[in-house]
Amino acid sequence: MADPRIIKEKVFLVTIFVLTAVGVLPVFHVLAEVLVKGSEAIARHGIGILTSTSNGILASLVGSAILSILASLLGIPLAILAGLFVAEFSDTKIAKITRVVSQSLLEVPTVLLGMLVYIIMVVPMGGFSLLAGAVALALVMLPYVMVHVEQAIESVPPMYREAGYSIGMTRAEVLIGVAAGIARRGIATGVLMGFAKAMGETAPLLFTIGAARTTLPCSRPLPLANVLDPGDAVPLMIFQYAQMPQRLYHDMAWAGSLVLVLAFLIVFIAIRLLVKEVKM
Amino acid sequence: MSTPGKPLYRSDKLLYYALLPFAAVVIAAFILLFAVLGYVSAPAIKKYGVRLLTTSQWAPNEANPARSVYGLLAPLFGTLVSSTIAVLLALPVTISVVLVIEEYAPERWREIIGSIIEVMAGLPTIVYGLWGLEVLAPLLQKHIYSPLHQLLGFIPLFSCRPVTGFNLATAGVLLAIMILPYMVAVARDAYRAIPFTYKEAALAIGATRYEYAKIMLGLAKPGIVAAALLGFGRAAGETVAVALVVGNVPLVSGCLFKPAYTISSLIANQFSMAPLYPYMMSVLFTGGLILLAIGMAANTVAVIMIARARKRLG
Repeated sequence: MADPRIIKEKVFLVTIFVLTAVGVLPVFHVLAEVLVKGSEAIARHGIGILTSTSNGILASLVGSAILSILASLLGIPLAILAGLFVAEFSDTKIAKITRVVSQSLLEVPTVLLGMLVYIIMVVPMGGFSLLAGAVALALVMLPYVMVHVEQAIESVPPMYREAGYSIGMTRAEVLIGVAAGIARRGIATGVLMGFAKAMGETAPLLFTIGAARTTLPCSRPLPLANVLDPGDAVPLMIFQYAQMPQRLYHDMAWAGSLVLVLAFLIVFIAIRLLVKEVKM
Repeated sequence: MSTPGKPLYRSDKLLYYALLPFAAVVIAAFILLFAVLGYVSAPAIKKYGVRLLTTSQWAPNEANPARSVYGLLAPLFGTLVSSTIAVLLALPVTISVVLVIEEYAPERWREIIGSIIEVMAGLPTIVYGLWGLEVLAPLLQKHIYSPLHQLLGFIPLFSCRPVTGFNLATAGVLLAIMILPYMVAVARDAYRAIPFTYKEAALAIGATRYEYAKIMLGLAKPGIVAAALLGFGRAAGETVAVALVVGNVPLVSGCLFKPAYTISSLIANQFSMAPLYPYMMSVLFTGGLILLAIGMAANTVAVIMIARARKRLG
């Protein structure tokens, strides 16, 4: 008879390896389905499914691009500067409160940020707009970027700062010139993660951008003013088209998913490359 | 990194006051969220009071808005049950993944599994939702729910016929997949915080790998509880993916194969109509307030657990 302790060990090892496989398998199934169904949809309807506004998802693609960039412009500078404050003045009361707040924001369901923006922007401005959606997305990405900035700045070894101080640099010069410089890859990682988050979010857009998908957001003369128009986004399009009975709409949803997943994977690889270079 | 108690130099003060407004904006946004949710919820709470949580009726009355009845019982039930299923399913997998990555997988595989988990975490939730709607729900209905109902139909949980795959069980399974990477991240941090001397001690007394893992998991327990809590909070707040698979019927049933509703999917589905009916918007914001409370409670307890674990392990 084998030792029961050894049998227990074998059963245990098999169990945890099987459970790990069960845990990671679904994501491969998701990726494979998106790849297959997305390409099938494009093959069935031609490239027009991506490049047309009628029976195509062009308006969603354009809207998503505008939203991601605009949300980044609003959210990233705020996140970096607030993150610098928290890391640099970490023993002040306000910095401690800000840290707790940013960590709590991570746990706020994103749909609530959409409801907030609906009340403070959509209602007063009298309608949906890409700008309102971008503000909601900026709030979503804010805590992610902040946490990364804080960690990156705090992981800078103190001797670099001391070197800066010893040659008579002020605190601002050391923070911006030395610490932020050394931590720049960590900060860039946070920025990319925030961007990826903004690109893929759906719930904050439900009540903010208005799902205008038959026309492109360009009714106004100045390009910048168009952000005051309603628009669409790929995730929102997928959510609404997935609930329609017609095949065409489902195909558009899968084609949109394919674009979304590819865009996410590109950002993900960029993050990996950044992180790897830091290790060297 | 300023030394406590020491006054700042003038140039340093400048930096402090230059950055302060940005931190203030973050705090203000957070306060504004609570204030707006509270403000918009107030009329519904005043009008319906505790009845909001004791009825499942969702009956807007167009002719006489004051007689509309709105209850959040079924969605609250759906949120709590689907999130609980998700955590129960994801927890054993989380523990296994952490042990495999940290202890038993070959070096190269650790990084690969770690990367896969990161992809899982970052994948847009709507993609999980579409997959859940078109692939997972039909699959589960055919290969899991129907056999379960036939074999174990005497158990109340499986007693109703799974007419479609859109129900509480599917919402729970999909949420389990979605919260797994977050739970792994939290539990893995806790596991890594175990000092090396404990590991050496366990190995030195001749523990098998099973006994070793049991001791280590005991040490990482507060972190694993924190992972479960944060996972629960995530699951409760998830909106679009759940709205696509939960069935969206306000039912309170002991059977997992009945369609249900969650607070977040109720908000996603009803919000666009809400401005037309007085009080409906307010009721939906009350639902939002409940979600916020669940999220904040999970977060607070998790933070306390993690701090306690750190203290205990020195």
